[in-house]
Amino acid sequence: MSVRPLTEDQRDAMQEITNIAMGQAGSLLATLLGVFVNLSVPRINVLALSDVADAIGSMVGRNIEITAVRQSFHGYLRGEAIVIYGRDGCKELGDLMGYDEVLDRTDEIELLLDVSNILVGACLGGIIDQIKGITEAHGAGELSFSAPSLMAENVPAEVLINPDKLTWTHALLMEVNFTLEGRNFISHLCMLMPGGSIEKMRNILDEFVASF
Amino acid sequence: MSESPQNIHLPDSIVKWVNVGIFVVDRGMKITLWNNFMANHSGRGADTVIGRNLFDCFPELPKTWLSKKIQSVFILKNFAFTSWEQRPYLFHFPHNRPITGSVDFMLQNCTFMPVKNETGEIDSVCITLFDATDTGISQTELKNAMDRLSEDSNRDGLTGIYNRRYLEQHLLTEFDRSKRYGGHFSFMLFDLDHFKKVNDTYGHLAGDAVLCAVSQHINSLLRTVDVLGRYGGEEFGVILPSTNLEGAIVVAEKLKQIVAQTPVMHKETAIPITVSIGVTEFKAETPNYEHLIHCADLALYFSKENGRNRVTRYTDELESKNNLRPTLFT
Amino acid sequence: MARKMLIKALPSSWDVDITQAGNGEEALAAYRAGKADVMFLDLTMPVMDGFQVLEALQKEGLNSFVIVVSADIQPIAQERVKKLGAIAFIKKPVASDAIESVLKQYGVAL
Repeated sequence: MSVRPLTEDQRDAMQEITNIAMGQAGSLLATLLGVFVNLSVPRINVLALSDVADAIGSMVGRNIEITAVRQSFHGYLRGEAIVIYGRDGCKELGDLMGYDEVLDRTDEIELLLDVSNILVGACLGGIIDQIKGITEAHGAGELSFSAPSLMAENVPAEVLINPDKLTWTHALLMEVNFTLEGRNFISHLCMLMPGGSIEKMRNILDEFVASF
Repeated sequence: MSESPQNIHLPDSIVKWVNVGIFVVDRGMKITLWNNFMANHSGRGADTVIGRNLFDCFPELPKTWLSKKIQSVFILKNFAFTSWEQRPYLFHFPHNRPITGSVDFMLQNCTFMPVKNETGEIDSVCITLFDATDTGISQTELKNAMDRLSEDSNRDGLTGIYNRRYLEQHLLTEFDRSKRYGGHFSFMLFDLDHFKKVNDTYGHLAGDAVLCAVSQHINSLLRTVDVLGRYGGEEFGVILPSTNLEGAIVVAEKLKQIVAQTPVMHKETAIPITVSIGVTEFKAETPNYEHLIHCADLALYFSKENGRNRVTRYTDELESKNNLRPTLFT
Repeated sequence: MARKMLIKALPSSWDVDITQAGNGEEALAAYRAGKADVMFLDLTMPVMDGFQVLEALQKEGLNSFVIVVSADIQPIAQERVKKLGAIAFIKKPVASDAIESVLKQYGVAL
């Protein structure tokens, strides 16, 4: 099945919108952890289902184990956000937060879910804010979020998404990553929107580009 | 708005009667809305809590944590969540399975939502509380069943101790850990001497009983951190974490001695058993976990070769001796 | 797109020629060639990021007038670019009056 990519203008606009949104998310992360956060240049792509696992593998790194949290969002646009941490991401975050007390496993997972929720909320919230003028004209309300849940812990990045079990054919993938200065920590935030939302997004982006 | 007059209060009555807890607090943690679900389960009617501080009304709430959570919604202007999986409950509500439930209180999933006033400012947080008791109980049961299944797939059908697959998997884990973080561990293989003779003399059922008895006996002599597995036939392997070669030899000698002193009783017949053991330890230069199996196996071979009922430690010399071994033995 | 958004936010009365650069290296080359009196600099860019551009300008002792325009709103990022010689920091999405007030503050005729 052939996938129609975003036009150069659409991709460029999506990248800038995502960049601004991730700046807000990154700033929250920096405040939370008390360290300087390096922001990546966002990667935007429309992918066939069969390529998504591979794309995630190549972004995150092959043959490494990851921990991931997922959260869905729905409204005018719908999709899922996946926040990917390195192996033992739970422990790393606990260390970074510098809690005095020792965190048990439940505390670690709760922290991981909280931080993921903040990143997803800030990033998607930031994206929606910028295109609000356009989406509201199409009758869109506010976005709502499901509770975040632990998707996988210490599994190879390639197996995170299993194409055999999924029903969609292609998705818009937006990826940003946060690294911490002087620390061996990385967190990838992937936002994926399936079929119908891609078409809506194309229209939104066209209008966005035309407004400048 | 074109709502018909009788529908004006519809949202209010939905909030009031829906079978989900809904309540709202302002920045000062004062309760400003409290629906029937909350009233019924807490035993506190709206009239007794509205206008009062949430934590004064419910001292059992985890105050430090919960106020931080609610504050985060005001600051981040973002949804927040809690799940029964991490935090089984906030409120001490009785659940609706007083007979069949295995939990103390209603399991709760909560969503915290920022609420804007007319000027667009977030002035309160709305919390919805879902009863997750049924989901929680069935998920816990499912998980226990899954754990048992995966435990079963790691076990040897006859003896109930770990099987070869698990033993090798664990050996790999131990190998990786020691490679990365240093430290030592040892590995031993042992074999029941003349087991074929046991089968031939006393029958296969007796042979099975011997395998079970010896593996149970040895398991009871090991530490809980040690991993005993059936490697195949009458051959067994033991992983001894944080144990160097000297320590492992002491353990092996003890096992050898106790097994030899304890004949296995089968239908009033005492069957004497001895074991031959080969022992090796992990070293920084050990290339892979398979090499440990090779070393233990070679040492075991020499225990057999030198008369059985004995312990042999792996040394490099064994390799050269092994090379001199006539091929007809291999 | 980032550039389009910025250009639209520039004061309409400001009579200037605009040279655009797709990344830090291009920007630096244009600056070295004397094509700019004022540089609006993003931080998150491919090839060479904004911090690196500022460092290079400082190293080469170029008399720069750089306004950083970035989505990276961490306080430390703002401190850093000022230490590296940027005269102002404007956060994205860019508001026209934010640009105008910086320019006025530095006596740029609009």
